[in-house]
Amino acid sequence: MKKTIIIPLVSIVAVALVLFAAAVGLNGIASENAQADHIYVMQTLLPGSKDFVIEPYAGADASIRSVHKGETGFIIETVTQGYVDEITMLIGVSNEGTVTGLVVRDMHETVGLGANALTDWQFLAQFLKNTGDAAVGTNMDAITGATVTSKAVARCVNSAVAYVTGADVQSGATSWGG
Amino acid sequence: MKEKRWFLNTALAVVLGIGLLVCIVLRTFAPRMILPALDIPNMALVSLAALVLDHYVSHGAKRCYVCAFVFSALTFGLLPFVAGFVTLKDALLLAAVGGVVFTAIAWIFSSIQDRLSTGPAAKAAPVLSALGLYLAAQCFAGMLL
Repeated sequence: MKKTIIIPLVSIVAVALVLFAAAVGLNGIASENAQADHIYVMQTLLPGSKDFVIEPYAGADASIRSVHKGETGFIIETVTQGYVDEITMLIGVSNEGTVTGLVVRDMHETVGLGANALTDWQFLAQFLKNTGDAAVGTNMDAITGATVTSKAVARCVNSAVAYVTGADVQSGATSWGG
Repeated sequence: MKEKRWFLNTALAVVLGIGLLVCIVLRTFAPRMILPALDIPNMALVSLAALVLDHYVSHGAKRCYVCAFVFSALTFGLLPFVAGFVTLKDALLLAAVGGVVFTAIAWIFSSIQDRLSTGPAAKAAPVLSALGLYLAAQCFAGMLL
């Protein structure tokens, strides 16, 4: 028994070594691909902009993770709490303060409910041309069965627009936004 | 007394390793894809896959649940960390939660499957037990939210 108990330990270490080698070996390609994809998505969200410069953010809004400045506006990366976990979004806002595009980059909301925020174009399209007054239940329809997720997305959009326009919506301080 | 065998935790390491390897490849070549989180339902899924595999390979082997907890905690903590998906702090949390989830599921799975495996549905019992438990794990995770 004492000899056989070593087998799972050896297996775990062997699998760990394989994973470590794969992660390190593919790290360079993964970084290049992720960077290229990030630029492609930003150019799509903010038409007319080709080059982006990271702009430091030292504001009080906890939802804003990073800011990228383009020729025609800004791409704001926001992270806010959804129903299950944090929702990471990229939001394009023109220099005039209107939303030009938005995309969910990471979320783990409930499949069939909150996860529809990834693909429900009717929900996402409501935010286009918005000027920072998105309020679920007032001027925005929520995703069916996913009010918390919908309000989290609205809060992200309001935070992004507020950064560009300078408006203070206290979006990082409210419980559920909207 | 049945002989103790240690295939279960080897199976867990292999199943989780394959899953993480697929995630590494997807992270590299499909960076836009949202990868699944290693939460309680997904931990349960990996654990149940290992348990089903263990049943067909070493049927009837006696289990040491203390060893199962220690090895599964090591598996769930170490593998995602070396694959670069979590920080050290998160890895410690994953180890604790993963160890508890795996041990609990192994105990429940064994209890169900031991009773079913004597009936006419013996061959399908592990898979059906695993499916039922996976649904239960999803419900449990939903209750925690």
